[in-house]
Amino acid sequence: MPLRPGRAGRVGVIGHPVAKTAVVAKAVTPGPAPVAKTAVVVAAVTPGRAGRRRI
Amino acid sequence: MTDMTTEFAHQNTDLDSLGPVDYIVVEFPAGASNFTGEMAEELLALVDSGTIRVIDVLILTKNEDGTVDAMELSDIEQLGPLERVETQLAELLAEEDVAHLAAAMDPGSTAGVLIWENLWAAPFASAARRSGGQLIANGRIPIQAIIASIEADDASTTEGD
Repeated sequence: MPLRPGRAGRVGVIGHPVAKTAVVAKAVTPGPAPVAKTAVVVAAVTPGRAGRRRI
Repeated sequence: MTDMTTEFAHQNTDLDSLGPVDYIVVEFPAGASNFTGEMAEELLALVDSGTIRVIDVLILTKNEDGTVDAMELSDIEQLGPLERVETQLAELLAEEDVAHLAAAMDPGSTAGVLIWENLWAAPFASAARRSGGQLIANGRIPIQAIIASIEADDASTTEGD
């Protein structure tokens, strides 16, 4: 189906072709222990987790 | 400017109170979609709670030859509860945006494009501006980057043992 006429001839807001991002579900479910890996990521963004930052 | 974009501008004449606007493209590979209405329910919950305002929605299909078909939300016959979102859309995306967004899609897939205003962020952003702050960078940290960081950290710790 065609786009609404109002979308034609206007300057876009995206500006450039979009690159596909890596699929997150694949990133957190590789290997034999996907649940463990997901837990590690969750722990990394949990409040109160300190000690990783090295500047 | 078209009627719809004019309407969008009028809805947001006070730019100082406009929240950040984001977009996502959610791809459904051929044969992998499982629409149960759950996505619509969650989207409406975000709208009803005042967390976001939906600005534009398009459904794109990329054919095997690379051509792209675009569908307006209003083209769907049985919108159900999404109908009240559809009536509020501002038609922000232009035709050239369709090609740019579809560049990320695989042939044979269908994708939903969602543009929204982060209403939750507007008061903070407004306060930051009134305080003299200027947004000089923003972005999203991919989960993959967090995993890579943790794994690199773990590896260096192990080497140090």
